[in-house]
Amino acid sequence: MIQRLFDVIIIGAGIVGAALARELSAYAMRVAVLDKAAEIPSGASRANSAMIHAGYDDKPGTQKARFCPSGNRRFHELQGPLDFTLRECGSYVCAFEEDEIRHLDALLDQGKRNGVPGMEIISGDTLRDREPHASREIRAALWAPSGAIVNNFEAVLAFMDNAQQNGVELFLETQVTGLLCSEEKQEVFGVETTKGRFLAPVVINAAGVHAGEISRMAGEESVRIRPTRGEYFITDKTVGHLVKGFFFACPSAKGKGITVASTAEHNLLIGPTSTPQTDLEDTSTTMKGLEEVLDGARKLVPDIPSGAVITSFAGVRANTLSGDFNIAVLRKPRGFVNVAGIKSPGFTSAPAIALHVVEMLREELADRVIMTPNPHFVPERTHIPRFAELSMEEREALVRRDPRFAQIVCRCETVTEAQVVEAIRRGARTVAAVKIWTRAGAGRCQGGFCGPRVADILARELGIPLEEVTRHGGHSRLLVGRTKEYWFRGNE
Amino acid sequence: MTDIRIDVAVIGAGPAGVAAGIGAREAGAEHVVVFERDWDLGGILQQCIHPGFGLHTFKEELTGPEYMHRWIERAHGAGVTFRTNTMVFRMEEDGSFWTMNPNEGIRHVHAGAIVLGMGCRERPLGAIRVPGSRPAGIYTAGTAQRFVNMEGYMPGNRVVVLGSGDIGLIMARRMMWEGASVEGVFEIMSWPGGLRRNIAQCLDDYGIPFYLDHTVTRVHGKDRLEGVTVAKVDANKKPILGTERFVACDTLLLAVGLIPENELSRMAGVQIHPVTGGPVVNQCLQTTRENVFAAGNVVIVYDLVDWVSAEGYKAGKNAALFALDGLPKATRRFDVRGGENVRLFSPQWLSDQEDATIFLRVTKPVEQRCRVTADHGLFSKTLRYARPGEMNEVHIKAEQLRMLPPDVREITVDVEEE
Repeated sequence: MIQRLFDVIIIGAGIVGAALARELSAYAMRVAVLDKAAEIPSGASRANSAMIHAGYDDKPGTQKARFCPSGNRRFHELQGPLDFTLRECGSYVCAFEEDEIRHLDALLDQGKRNGVPGMEIISGDTLRDREPHASREIRAALWAPSGAIVNNFEAVLAFMDNAQQNGVELFLETQVTGLLCSEEKQEVFGVETTKGRFLAPVVINAAGVHAGEISRMAGEESVRIRPTRGEYFITDKTVGHLVKGFFFACPSAKGKGITVASTAEHNLLIGPTSTPQTDLEDTSTTMKGLEEVLDGARKLVPDIPSGAVITSFAGVRANTLSGDFNIAVLRKPRGFVNVAGIKSPGFTSAPAIALHVVEMLREELADRVIMTPNPHFVPERTHIPRFAELSMEEREALVRRDPRFAQIVCRCETVTEAQVVEAIRRGARTVAAVKIWTRAGAGRCQGGFCGPRVADILARELGIPLEEVTRHGGHSRLLVGRTKEYWFRGNE
Repeated sequence: MTDIRIDVAVIGAGPAGVAAGIGAREAGAEHVVVFERDWDLGGILQQCIHPGFGLHTFKEELTGPEYMHRWIERAHGAGVTFRTNTMVFRMEEDGSFWTMNPNEGIRHVHAGAIVLGMGCRERPLGAIRVPGSRPAGIYTAGTAQRFVNMEGYMPGNRVVVLGSGDIGLIMARRMMWEGASVEGVFEIMSWPGGLRRNIAQCLDDYGIPFYLDHTVTRVHGKDRLEGVTVAKVDANKKPILGTERFVACDTLLLAVGLIPENELSRMAGVQIHPVTGGPVVNQCLQTTRENVFAAGNVVIVYDLVDWVSAEGYKAGKNAALFALDGLPKATRRFDVRGGENVRLFSPQWLSDQEDATIFLRVTKPVEQRCRVTADHGLFSKTLRYARPGEMNEVHIKAEQLRMLPPDVREITVDVEEE
């Protein structure tokens, strides 16, 4: 049995786990991040609205209201040093009815109390001056300039990549199957996983929708995840110009409702639905969901053509009963920390939560972990060059450095072989991971052309047969074997 | 950055582009270069190893690679230059464009005239909005064809085909030959998308079930595809409740339509027709940018490659004439309109200086004698049937156009039952 020794184990490499890993990498300690998926981000950090919320949605006094505006600021601060795409587009909450306009006032007031900067209520006409495709039915909107669009893939990778540069170890396809505790669960000393034992005096549960299961392993029943599925649709870039800011309908009891936004790469992202379910993993989309999303989106922006949809996905939100985040150092077992129930605005809040958890470790678990600065800490990293976005001179310079930058792999998104190779060097092991790192396959043909080429490069760089290349790990192999095998089998 | 100047540039070395190169050289252009992003010439025909190509051009049945081989030999003989593994990744409104490859880096190409021959691509799953999960095992028929025919790999063992486009039909048979079981071909329309001969030769001959008015309503499986739910659809193409059934399979092949690949055309500021998805052209294959020509599936999706090559040759010839100042300018122009039972057609306008062939597809099949006509008595032809999967032609002579009364500005083409 393989045993590995660490100071801190983080379960889950979503935005919370990754942001926390990056903050902990500033300290001289051995940190392991475990995730059961074959690539990061998976789960809710992968499938969400890619929104950095301003922070007016949540009741003052809640943890959400505390961490969302500060998380927003932290995202803006770290965008440069960590090199992920963040577009400061601002957000609009749109009101159609009289009572919705009154609700905008309440949100404005709440936002001010939460410390959200620069908010104002604007008329429908002012909105349409700025956003000509906004519905004529919108009567007023709450404008929050600090609302931003983030490339959520890049953000998670950026935190994790920087953490790894600073010594944190990431273990993928490593599912936690049990908690290692002393007798009567007095103290935690590690986890049991599908890849062996990992030992550490501090274990942090950042397992997203699975946080309830992990918490139960510690004997703490308070974390009850009630998953709700949200379906989203992505359109071709040809309609990405329809909106500049992030559009919300007025929130209802079901949540923030359908949103319309132009992604970091100028596709339109529309969604989500909100469907309670029991399955923590079911991220399938439905016919009904699409209709609901399109109807909702067209209410805000009537010009969205239905034919422009290029793909759909669904995310499962880690809702909890309390409705608030559940961040706590447990008394028993000692050394176990829950960072659970991090649903919307969880992505936004994550970097602020990470700083808070570091403080909690320093103050409450000083007996179990020593927090001395990492003398080799490098606070910045760069992403793989985004070839498609560069000027012709910058492209030339890259090609001179490495001719593989002149070898196009993905036509739709102009992704080059050099980028794919670099993604693999930084840890991509699947076709989906290459897409997450580089956008190869994220375009209008959805990998029809580049899928086989990415698979070829993965096989070559990883030194494995093509048949062993998977779409997203596990049993998701692309191919079942060589041709003619059937005939050989038949002759035996 | 290196600047390159040539007479005629062709983008794409598939059947349209190779023929365009020949056309341009034979019309007198000196320096003709065909740019191709793939490693090899031939475009998608490289992977079409089944026979049935070239019946019109060569009066014999060739495979895709054999067909292209003949054209490529002819192009070499005509003095056409090819640049393979070279991506045209950006186009300017003046028609100049940027290429790159690992050997030469980035180059800015200026040409007297350009022929766009980028062909088309397949519609992916997301575009037809089939709900469900996203496991491995879902391929467009063309991607699967490349894996099987060119790379020697099997994408799966138990196959369902959605859509009845020609590549899907051919791949249903191909997968069967390789030992896979094919559970059925499901088509949402009430008629086949591909050629009748492919229904007969690929499905009927092999006992592969073919379901019209059916679609896939859900995809199942987490890692690898485990099955699909199929259902019958009503007249509005909505699934009929109670007709759903689960079909176990590990592979779903999509043959749900082809889309002309016009990203570069758009960058060049060429007007794109909303129905064909290709550039608006006249019978010289000239787009709304007069130095930019376009031919083949990038303009309108053809069902026979022979037509693609013929149109490519014509586009190359006219591009060369344009570059050499020898293309006669239209003194009159006629807009083409689609009339009765015409879904799409090309070209969209005619010059009075050239003979014209208008290609058109019908909206609904007519399974009895019908007439294809162009108004003003320009053309009329009787057919035994007209089907959406098969293109029809209308031929008009330039002198007929010149003799039309001066107030005629439009020509309507119709397909009517007799």
